[in-house]
Amino acid sequence: MGTYLARRAVHSFVSLAGLLILVFFLARLTGDPTNLYLPLDATLEARQEFAERHGFNDPVIVQFGRFLSGLAEFDLGTSIRKHRPAADVVLEAIPVTLGLAAVTMIVALLGAIVVGSLAAYRPGRIFDRLASVISLASASAPDFWVAITAILLFAVTLGWLPTSGTGGFAIEYWIMPIGVLLIRPFGLMVQVVRGSMLTALSSAYVKTARAKGVTERAVIFVHALRNGMLPVITVASDQAAGIANGAVIVETIFGWPGVGKLMIDSILYRDFAVIQASILITAAVIFTINIVVDIAYAVLDPRIRHH
Amino acid sequence: MKWRMTLFGLSLPLAAGALAMMIAGGAVAQDKTVTVVLSEEPDIVDPCESSRSNIGRIVKQNITETLTEIDPKDGSITPRLATAWEQVDELTWRFTLREGVKFHDGSDFNAENAVIAINRTLNPNQDCEVRLKFFGNIKLMPAAVDTYTLEVKTETPQPILPTLMGTMTITGPKTQEAKGTQNPVGTGPYKFVSWTPGQEVVLERFDGYWGDKPEAEGARYIWRNESAVRAAMVATGEADIAPNIALQDATDPKMDFSYFNSETSRLRIDLTRAPLDDIRVRQALNYAIDREAMRGTIFSKDVVPSTNLVVPSISGHNPDLKVWPYDPAKAKELLAAAKADGVPVDNEITILGRLGIYPNATEAMEATHAMLQEAGFNVKLQMVEVNQWVDIFTRPYAEDRGPVLQQAQHDNNSGDAVFTVFFKYGCEGPQSTICDKEIDRLIAEASAATGDKRRELWQALFRRLHEDIVPDVMMFHMVGYTRINPRLDFTPSLSTNSELQISQIKFN
Repeated sequence: MGTYLARRAVHSFVSLAGLLILVFFLARLTGDPTNLYLPLDATLEARQEFAERHGFNDPVIVQFGRFLSGLAEFDLGTSIRKHRPAADVVLEAIPVTLGLAAVTMIVALLGAIVVGSLAAYRPGRIFDRLASVISLASASAPDFWVAITAILLFAVTLGWLPTSGTGGFAIEYWIMPIGVLLIRPFGLMVQVVRGSMLTALSSAYVKTARAKGVTERAVIFVHALRNGMLPVITVASDQAAGIANGAVIVETIFGWPGVGKLMIDSILYRDFAVIQASILITAAVIFTINIVVDIAYAVLDPRIRHH
Repeated sequence: MKWRMTLFGLSLPLAAGALAMMIAGGAVAQDKTVTVVLSEEPDIVDPCESSRSNIGRIVKQNITETLTEIDPKDGSITPRLATAWEQVDELTWRFTLREGVKFHDGSDFNAENAVIAINRTLNPNQDCEVRLKFFGNIKLMPAAVDTYTLEVKTETPQPILPTLMGTMTITGPKTQEAKGTQNPVGTGPYKFVSWTPGQEVVLERFDGYWGDKPEAEGARYIWRNESAVRAAMVATGEADIAPNIALQDATDPKMDFSYFNSETSRLRIDLTRAPLDDIRVRQALNYAIDREAMRGTIFSKDVVPSTNLVVPSISGHNPDLKVWPYDPAKAKELLAAAKADGVPVDNEITILGRLGIYPNATEAMEATHAMLQEAGFNVKLQMVEVNQWVDIFTRPYAEDRGPVLQQAQHDNNSGDAVFTVFFKYGCEGPQSTICDKEIDRLIAEASAATGDKRRELWQALFRRLHEDIVPDVMMFHMVGYTRINPRLDFTPSLSTNSELQISQIKFN
């Protein structure tokens, strides 16, 4: 396991370095951000001074050298927009997004396993059909519309929930954002669980288990599910990485200061230091998710462990 | 049966949660703290950036005050931290400062500390927006004459220095020199308590304030990007004021107020490129636009067709100018006459729009495109992002550019037309495409004049622009919408675009 992790770490480091170089140069291709920061009436001299002060007049390769030497000292630069260290800005936003991603994935995964398994248990029956319709509808629901409609319904009309905000992360503030975020992964995963459970339930080892007189509950949740989980884990990790990259719509509408919104704003304002810092840090998070998924495979499937 | 039980088990905690919410009943603000929901998070809370809308709404006249204040009703200048001012000579103004004023940190407000504050904002080594926007071409040399007398010398005559000082916020003397303070200190009725990035800014009433004690005990600023959410927050009582909501969300006449937001929209005509260098073509452009058809459809029904690039309450606005009527036949006639004289009216003209410059910006340009085509112009529409747009809008202009009509919007809530005319219409103006000797003479004369004379000269200038030069396709004086919780007694005004004085808010 140790060698395996070391090898993964080296691979990830190489791809991360490549990604950073790409982002650095691509971001600068979008041009000098001076015009975005100074008022329209600023004089030409003021514009030149601004570009000079922030190093935008230097050749890109010189700017890259400056970035690397900062990186060597763990300095990710200063946000031009916020006048604060870029790393601070990103590290404030990361826990918010990770919190959203973790809760969403746990709820969606548990829900999908239960609903998907039960649907696969008696395929073609009413519950299966109902589950299919609901999961297909939710896998294709536009989250922007769902979010606004949910606010109008649950906050304005019914007055059950607060409209938005994190409210010190009290539980009532989580319900709508999580609800909106989990719709799509839930729908998708119900479909995947159902498919892979159908295959598992018709396999020889399930028939053997039933012949031995194992209870139905154990057949589904022990024998079939364990095998059926592998594709589900793959899809779930992909979905989790997506949310960890920023649940932009939910963060924007519900006013959760996460990293997705931060990244979009930084790109719009060409706040290069923050773009680079957020990509670096979220890439590290996604690397960790991938490692966890690999470990989960090994735990679930002894064949992988033995190799 | 088993699965039914499982489903029920799953839905139980959700229902319980919802019930708990009903009992908790949302956070209804019934105390005397005003909650303001802004359209975006302030990047920074430094008062030297207070000319930016969402920063000004927190800081300006709440935390830090200015020497003078511009009355949004008529653009007149009233005392704030200065009680009187006089022009000593062409290059010198003298301000008498208010006595007995304290900063929130206990320092005294006096001439010496005013000098420190002015020099901080004007420090050429940093990019304070107040300096770049209002003092880019002016060098101020402030000095303390005695404890309460401040003298400001300038290199060139500045007859409207008292107006300009209405934009200069006075920070405490211990404020860090570099821009980006996270602890703004001023003399205002509210002092800064905290800023939690991503969450909120909190202010509380300053007991040592020199003026009347305001009703609101404090203010809390939060932000949501989505207009529908801001409107919903005021409707549910989670917030008291949403200074800026979209037209489609302003659905409740009891809570929603429209106000002139000091913006005026137009298409800037590049007069240096044929066929736009011919006045008949420019007149035809104005005759070809059906402004009434756009009002209440693409633009709000409350916008007002404009003739001046400044709104009516700005000193120098000329009320006698006539809005261009919609007359496509006249437009065609003018184009034909120009063509007969050899003007290349068939040259392709680009309408260069800017994405999101105001609500429905793209639709407005699409309608304009259709109307101009209808009148016989050869036009194409191109919508660009702000960065590209600014490059084309400001000098230096590209030599190889073609004829362009550029979608623009200008904001002047500073009280005087000087903030507009030099930049947009002077020969050297950084966004001007015209060079007219008469206009430059009027700018020079009016800049040096005061009072009625000054206003009349600006009016003469706007008349010359509108009738003799036609440098724009004028569109509208724009409006903004503010939603206000009925528990407050507050009316938005022109200045709501850049400030929101919590001390003016009363409770019903």
